[in-house]
Amino acid sequence: MEWRRLAPVFLGSLARRRLATLFSLVAIVLGVALGMAVQAVHEAALSEFDRGLRNMAGAADLQVVGPRGGFDEQLYARLATHPDVAEASPVLEVEARLVGRDESLQVLGVDAFVLARVTPQLLPSAAGGDRFAIFAGDGVFLSHAAADRLGVKTGALLHVQAGSAELALKVAGDLPAAGDGRRLAVMDIAAAQILFGKLGRLTRIDLRLREGVDAGAARHSLQAELPDGVLVETPAAEADQAANLSRAYRVNLTLLAAIALLTGGFLVFSAQALSVVRRRREFAFLRAVGLSRRTLFGWLVGEGAAVGLLGGVLGVAVGHGLAWGALALLGGDLGAGYFAGLAPRLQFQPLASAIYVLLGAVAGVAGAWLPAREAATVAPAQALKAGDEAALHGGRGHPLFGLALLAGGLVACAIPPVDGLPLGGYLAVACVLAGAVLLLPSIAALLARLLPGGGPVSARLAVARLAAAPGHAVVAAAGVLTSVALAAAMAIMVASFRDSVDQWLTQLLPADLYLRAGRAQSGSYLDEALQARIAATPGVGTVAFTRHDGLRLAAGQAPVALLARPVSADGDGLPLVGRAVAADGPAVWISEAMQDLYGWQPGRQVELPLAGKPVRLTVAGVWRDYARQTGAVMIDLDSYRRLTGDPLVNDAAIHLAPGADALRTAHALTALAGPGVLEVAFPGEIRAITLRIFDRTFAVTYLLEAVAVAIGLAGVAASFAALAAARRKEFGMLRHLGLTRRQIGWMLAQEGALAAGVGVLAGLLAGGAIGLVLIEVVNRQSFHWSMDLHVPWLSLLLFGGGLVALAALAAVLAGRQAMRQDAVLAVREDW
Amino acid sequence: MERRRFLLALALGAAGRSAMAAVDFAPVLPGRRLVFPADHGAHPDFRTEWWYATGWLNLPDGSPLGFQTTFFRVRTGVGEDSPSAFAPRQLILAHAAIADPRLGRLRHGERSARVGFGRAGFALGQTGVWVGDWRFALDGGRYRAEVHADDFAYALELQPAGPPLLNGQGGFSAKAADPRHASYYYSRPQLAVSGSVTLDGKQQPVRGKAWLDHEWSSELLPEGAKGWDWVGLNLDDGSALMAFRLRDGHGRALWAAATWQLAGGGARVMRPAEIAFTPGREWRSPRTAITYPVEWRLRVGEREFELRPLLDDQELDSRRSTGSVYWEGAVRVVEGGRELGRGYLEMTGYGERIRVG
Amino acid sequence: MLEIENLSRRFNGRTVLQNISLSLEPGEYVAVVGESGVGKSTLLNLIAGLDRPDSGRLRLDGEDYAQYDEDPLTRLRRDKLGFVFQAFHILPHLTVVQNVALPLWLQGVERDAAAGPARELLDAVGLGARAESWPRELSGGEMQRVAIARALVHAPRLVLADEPTGNLDPANATRVLALLAERIRAAGAIGILVTHSLEAAATADRILHLTAEGLRG
Repeated sequence: MEWRRLAPVFLGSLARRRLATLFSLVAIVLGVALGMAVQAVHEAALSEFDRGLRNMAGAADLQVVGPRGGFDEQLYARLATHPDVAEASPVLEVEARLVGRDESLQVLGVDAFVLARVTPQLLPSAAGGDRFAIFAGDGVFLSHAAADRLGVKTGALLHVQAGSAELALKVAGDLPAAGDGRRLAVMDIAAAQILFGKLGRLTRIDLRLREGVDAGAARHSLQAELPDGVLVETPAAEADQAANLSRAYRVNLTLLAAIALLTGGFLVFSAQALSVVRRRREFAFLRAVGLSRRTLFGWLVGEGAAVGLLGGVLGVAVGHGLAWGALALLGGDLGAGYFAGLAPRLQFQPLASAIYVLLGAVAGVAGAWLPAREAATVAPAQALKAGDEAALHGGRGHPLFGLALLAGGLVACAIPPVDGLPLGGYLAVACVLAGAVLLLPSIAALLARLLPGGGPVSARLAVARLAAAPGHAVVAAAGVLTSVALAAAMAIMVASFRDSVDQWLTQLLPADLYLRAGRAQSGSYLDEALQARIAATPGVGTVAFTRHDGLRLAAGQAPVALLARPVSADGDGLPLVGRAVAADGPAVWISEAMQDLYGWQPGRQVELPLAGKPVRLTVAGVWRDYARQTGAVMIDLDSYRRLTGDPLVNDAAIHLAPGADALRTAHALTALAGPGVLEVAFPGEIRAITLRIFDRTFAVTYLLEAVAVAIGLAGVAASFAALAAARRKEFGMLRHLGLTRRQIGWMLAQEGALAAGVGVLAGLLAGGAIGLVLIEVVNRQSFHWSMDLHVPWLSLLLFGGGLVALAALAAVLAGRQAMRQDAVLAVREDW
Repeated sequence: MERRRFLLALALGAAGRSAMAAVDFAPVLPGRRLVFPADHGAHPDFRTEWWYATGWLNLPDGSPLGFQTTFFRVRTGVGEDSPSAFAPRQLILAHAAIADPRLGRLRHGERSARVGFGRAGFALGQTGVWVGDWRFALDGGRYRAEVHADDFAYALELQPAGPPLLNGQGGFSAKAADPRHASYYYSRPQLAVSGSVTLDGKQQPVRGKAWLDHEWSSELLPEGAKGWDWVGLNLDDGSALMAFRLRDGHGRALWAAATWQLAGGGARVMRPAEIAFTPGREWRSPRTAITYPVEWRLRVGEREFELRPLLDDQELDSRRSTGSVYWEGAVRVVEGGRELGRGYLEMTGYGERIRVG
Repeated sequence: MLEIENLSRRFNGRTVLQNISLSLEPGEYVAVVGESGVGKSTLLNLIAGLDRPDSGRLRLDGEDYAQYDEDPLTRLRRDKLGFVFQAFHILPHLTVVQNVALPLWLQGVERDAAAGPARELLDAVGLGARAESWPRELSGGEMQRVAIARALVHAPRLVLADEPTGNLDPANATRVLALLAERIRAAGAIGILVTHSLEAAATADRILHLTAEGLRG
């Protein structure tokens, strides 16, 4: 085996330049690990979510769903006796806020008799085997995940909020078949209707069709019997919606990991490129004594592949570790809030792991490819004689191709989302990155020409080197460019996002106090009596109430949030995008997502299913909504009440009476209901909490940025270490000519600064462009919200400057070894 | 019959008891005259009630089948004042089975639902009870039983031969010396059956003889009762016999009762001392490991019958729904080596698993 | 035998070699001398198959390789040629014996099997005791002796030495030249020593002068 025989010739060389190899390895490990971690965490969360849904759907062929507030239970009588339907299982789902905890619990009111034939996974099991205990009214049955989370045992009391009252539910048993992953509670549907004030309402009906009935046809015929806003869905629809919802976020993170991996590939490239230059004569000799071109190429690519493969394997291991930690610390959505109520477990995925190992190897191979090709094409006769092995012809790059890529990126931005994913945006990011790398030599040459030729000798030497042999700088700068571009783009995007969210909150929270009865989607509400008491509380000036609901507008689409609150005719006080349109008749204000998902535009007449009836409304304007990426509509509270007759509200925005004390008023309001039932918050508090959640969501992003920058710096250090070793003779010669060691140090520092500077400059430019793509294309298409550009100039400046300084330091440190060599010896030495 | 209430007592358990304490169920009092057709219908004020049809069928090729149709109505005592239309005030539970010697075991199915939304219900003043597409009703002087289970279905018409056979004292059936433990109970023996049975997708006409029990009450079993043995036998001479006994934990009889329907009309109610159940050959269920005496000697007054099963394995495992396991099967009646008639035997409380309510 | 007929080579329109002819028998060891720039290295590269002539023939043992492609040339070098360079070209990450064995590895001899001949050659150049040393532990003269062992380990038909003593002090140079001549003769190979030093050339059987006019004895 030629491969085995020649291994010492090549792998020995890999071991000899340990530092560069290690940096390349670390970069690949990090890239693979991050990608793997994101993948593993989301796979765990999604599969748990999916399992939970499958449990919930059980053997149901179809599900009837409606607005969040539910629909009339008489639909159940119609569907249960429909000739196509074998079994119909009525469900009333309530998000019950847990008293004294900032958490809610999913409570399902069910008919245990039907469960056995439709969703047996939800069948409760009572303590002591009492099979009919579920009918005992106040009894709830908890899934193991819920019991663990809440720390309650059978027989204990669970305090939840219903409306604005507190309920004590007896834990009567568990749900043995519900799996361990999902936190939920089951109780009798009649009790749930009464306790949560949902008499006559259902939120879902699970249907099992008669044998031989086609689900598609049945769906059609059943839909015809249903009122507006109540839809027949396949059970998979909800899982798809959840997967879609989190997919954009997941793909964004994976993309960041891919960029880390790309940086790793660049590091392999620079390490291999420099190593190949150093070993030019070695290869020439090997070729002279009969090593074939192919074998040489194969071995050099093999060196990269070995690093990549090892990096891939280590990366997958580290990635699983990271995923485990992330699941424990941040949860299945990495803190982004998509999978509340789930306790996902990490599982080893052979296929995904293999793919990530392969990706590591591919990064190694890709990085080694060009240098290997260059080494293999070297003419041995010349290389054997060549004096200075440190000559790296970086060439002028491919500026035209680079420009073409940039133009291509611009075009890619215009591509509409594919299957909800901003693929055009990602393509544009890739184009910009690749284009910038190809333009790097031109930028380096331009910089060298612009820099003053004078100054101290060390500076002159450094600039001359950049001008004459930009190859070195380019190799070192490519990694810097990638990481800086990523970091800058993310910084710009996050800063813009945060700034926009901040402004949005300010516009959305004009009142002095906010009062709510639990979360918007929970079973808590403020009834009319309480509304009156709130308005009459001393210190309260004016009150604006808000009602929250969720509407089903189209099959297969996630519910759209409905907010009913006082809105003036011109939309004053709303965070409007564009101008309001005068509407004759009732108006609806839509979020940007409604534009993207349903194609609604201001001035158009649209139909909303309110209280089971289609209601025609005019779109009066578009408002910015960072809270609900599946869409939200807002209508005036008075109109809503007139149209639906629903007198309940969920929260209240309170302007204080002149001279009233905010704190005292807040206390008075809290005292209107039992302890822990009403929450009063100050706008500042809400803003702080929201921004804290925002920052937590982006914590992972910051981590990725830091890693990318570290990788870029490692690249500078590695390439300079490799170069410095190769340039020992040059340093010796300079010492001969009378340069002090300090001057050589300065020269190296300036070379490092220049190389990094080229990378940072190009990276900032590319990062700015990518940031714009992220804001205007990726975010808009993924999450359907716009934001105002906000460039954190100072941070970017400090960051870029710091990076240049660090690169200079890294170059000096890398060169110290070489400078320490005895100058005379270095010149005499043949290598 | 008490036996069926026992099932429900097991099933309802704590929920029944705790919630029922607050509810006034109608009492079973001696001396109340049963009035027909009003008493064919449901009695929702009482806690439990059932219509229980069992019998022998013959396929066109002459091979025998046993069948069972049971509809329970249960007033849970829960949610009596609840405004929710889903309140589980009244439940309907149904069991159905076919005993097929060629299969070697029972085919059975079950349905249960709370009353309301057209899912399940019962009629007053006339027999009529249904859950989903299962129903049992008296219509134009004939009972109609319709059942659609996963692996079988049947639609049968049951034609009574005469007036109801009142058990106990004019329909007041005592279960113990204490008169609180009693039920209203009448039987319809010698029902002529015609209709169709669908097995393995194949529908076939059938004819046969059946027995119907209708019983309602509010009180639980007497203390100490662990199970019971019951028979309803249609004899070829036109007479019929209902007999049961309650057993304690040691298999001793706590109480027994029997009613003779005489061939020429008229009935004779036997005293407990005149009745003796003697277990014979045993059979052990491979599924539940419960051992049942599948052959019996039954002495009622002067007569002594042997009971021989159509097949040994007529165990019905309904642990998934009502939570009980019992043996309910077709038997031949033999006296002096000669087959005199056919009927159904029910045995409960033989398993360790059964929890006494 | 090596036969060179009318070999010519031009670079960028400038003629470097013209109509060079030469014929060498096995066991013959010649030195080629000439001034800088006269084309010594070009001639050597052509003979070594590292470069291709514009015209003329190159035959080794009857095989004409003047117009060979890259792959057959590589095979020819691997199987029939041995090289000694001015700059030694000893791989620093291989031990002495591994460096010597390298040509055998390239021929497909397994590592274990290649070690024996390599050690024999090391013994022959007087470095048997240094077989497991690393190159950095050797002096310049010792390295060139390693290079001579490596040039002969695979019994080449033709050994090419390009200024093998250019980086050595006179004492070491003399010893290395003597050793090179001895080993080439012992192997019965054709030897060509390219040098600008007449002293060095004197160690060969015959001296050829390369001038602008051609190669003369």
